[in-house]
Amino acid sequence: MPPIVQVNDLRKRYGDIEAVRGISFFVEPGEVFGLLGPNGAGKTTTVEILEGLRRADGGSATVAGVDVFRDPSGVKRRIGVQLQASAFPDHLTARETVRFFAACYDLVVDELALLRSVELEERANQPQDKLSGGQRQRLSIATALVNKPQVLFLDEPTTGLDPQARRNLWDLIRDIQGRGTTVFLTTHYLDEAEILCDRVAIMEQGNIVALDPPRKLIDDLLARGFSKPVLQQKANLEDVFLDLTGHELREA
Amino acid sequence: MRQTVRLFGLLLRGYVRDRTALFFSLVVPLMLMVIFGYLNLGDFGRVSIAIDDQAKNQASRQLVDILKGISTLNLSEQSTEDALTHLKRTELDMLVVIPSDFVIAPARPGQTVPQLTVYGDDARPQQVAVGRQIIAQVIDRLSFAVTQTAPVIAVKDETVQGVRLRYVDFLVPGILGVNIMQLAIFSVAFALVADKQRGVLRRIMATPVRVTSLLAAHVMTRLVIAAGQVAVLLLVALVLFNVTIVGGLGPLVVVALIGTILCLTIGCALAGRATSENQVPAIAQLITLPQFFFSGVFFSKNAAPELIRPVTNLLPLTLLNDALREISVQGATIWDVRTQILGLLIWTVAGFIVAVRLFRFEKF
Repeated sequence: MPPIVQVNDLRKRYGDIEAVRGISFFVEPGEVFGLLGPNGAGKTTTVEILEGLRRADGGSATVAGVDVFRDPSGVKRRIGVQLQASAFPDHLTARETVRFFAACYDLVVDELALLRSVELEERANQPQDKLSGGQRQRLSIATALVNKPQVLFLDEPTTGLDPQARRNLWDLIRDIQGRGTTVFLTTHYLDEAEILCDRVAIMEQGNIVALDPPRKLIDDLLARGFSKPVLQQKANLEDVFLDLTGHELREA
Repeated sequence: MRQTVRLFGLLLRGYVRDRTALFFSLVVPLMLMVIFGYLNLGDFGRVSIAIDDQAKNQASRQLVDILKGISTLNLSEQSTEDALTHLKRTELDMLVVIPSDFVIAPARPGQTVPQLTVYGDDARPQQVAVGRQIIAQVIDRLSFAVTQTAPVIAVKDETVQGVRLRYVDFLVPGILGVNIMQLAIFSVAFALVADKQRGVLRRIMATPVRVTSLLAAHVMTRLVIAAGQVAVLLLVALVLFNVTIVGGLGPLVVVALIGTILCLTIGCALAGRATSENQVPAIAQLITLPQFFFSGVFFSKNAAPELIRPVTNLLPLTLLNDALREISVQGATIWDVRTQILGLLIWTVAGFIVAVRLFRFEKF
């Protein structure tokens, strides 16, 4: 199968700053692909170019077989997105929010079934601005699935969530992958990448400095003679937290 | 189109759930109307007019007596020379010279009609216009009385003394036009820029939605609210100021709504490149203030430099106010104001094209 995302020598600069410096990579159909890196590494710029939201200065990119530069709206029809720093229209319920985005694709969908798939069916008639952080992220994913996308882009989906909500979202992402959707996600959290991603690319100052399955990256590092200065703990504080507060989702 | 209607339905549903916004959207026009109305009524409620009766015959006395009986007019008899001096000092609004050959008779082919000469103070356009209207009406009716023909307009039973046209009748269409412009431009511009700042537009533009559908849905949503606002404005005019709408409410509402759609597209266009809500009033003033001054609502159209006057006569607000006033004051029909309506529609299409072109969803 040909790659579902193919990027060649992609470049983008803002004034004097070279945000993306000629990166190349591909994403296999059906995998969870992670783009990692510190703030300002160029992750969001890269993702937004692939989503058709931003123009690149050079290189080429195809998503789901469509040239992003030539046909951004064709790309938008085939992908689903969850953006950082975005919001939904005011005063709509969860169900109406899904309907609004279906209208944006000029589609009619079974809103309740979609909400059920992200465990929000019982919140269908609640105003979307009254949902908890985790619920809102799941609603956001529901709106990204209205067009049955071939690739789902998630930009830092678990930022600001409590540990239970994060784990719940991980389950949802695996579930979406299980239904055959390719997932392209960016994150700061390395544990998240290690658990979820089939392969990760690490970005630094506009370049990709490593690209492999997480296990292989770790093995390579160890092979180079790396060893942690302190002995690996058998449990960490998060394990304590989850042991005390349980894995159950907390939602008001 | 189907997409537009679906988006419109959902946007409207969201809007009406915000009771506070809904409440204020209806209270603000109420306030504007009352303030504008009373401010202007208090100060300029009467037209001071001088008459130089050079005929001094029966017909001219009859005309002068009737005019004296009209409470809107503050009438004095002066020589042309004196009156012109007063006019220049803006102590008078207008001067009417009745020529020595003045008679009241219907015009016959080949016969010259006596000409009244009217001088007006350019600085007080409303007063001059009201004065002209009243004199024209009085003369019309005197002519009808002479010829025994039935008036064309259905005011048969009214006596000549009962000329109903008051200053407020002339003022209200202009106030209506100005308020439509302000409310429509601000409501849609603020809504769009707020959506831009919160990232709503970004999220929406990550879908393949057409910008035209999205903007049209916003215009339709605001049009529903604006229709309510126009209703409030008219209600205040009718109930509080007892305004006479000669041409009827129907045509007036039609033109008011066309004007609203136009101003909504202007609001969309100016929201296009604005990146924060603070920029909206500034950009909006840039567009509304010149129209405010040049459209002849509160200041004379002639105050504009001669060179740009052809332009000021084509400004959206000028067209809107002209049409509203002709319907309200002169009893014009939709067909009579077709040129203004055509102008408004051309502006609307142009405004929408500009709005789509300028549309940006990023807040930087």
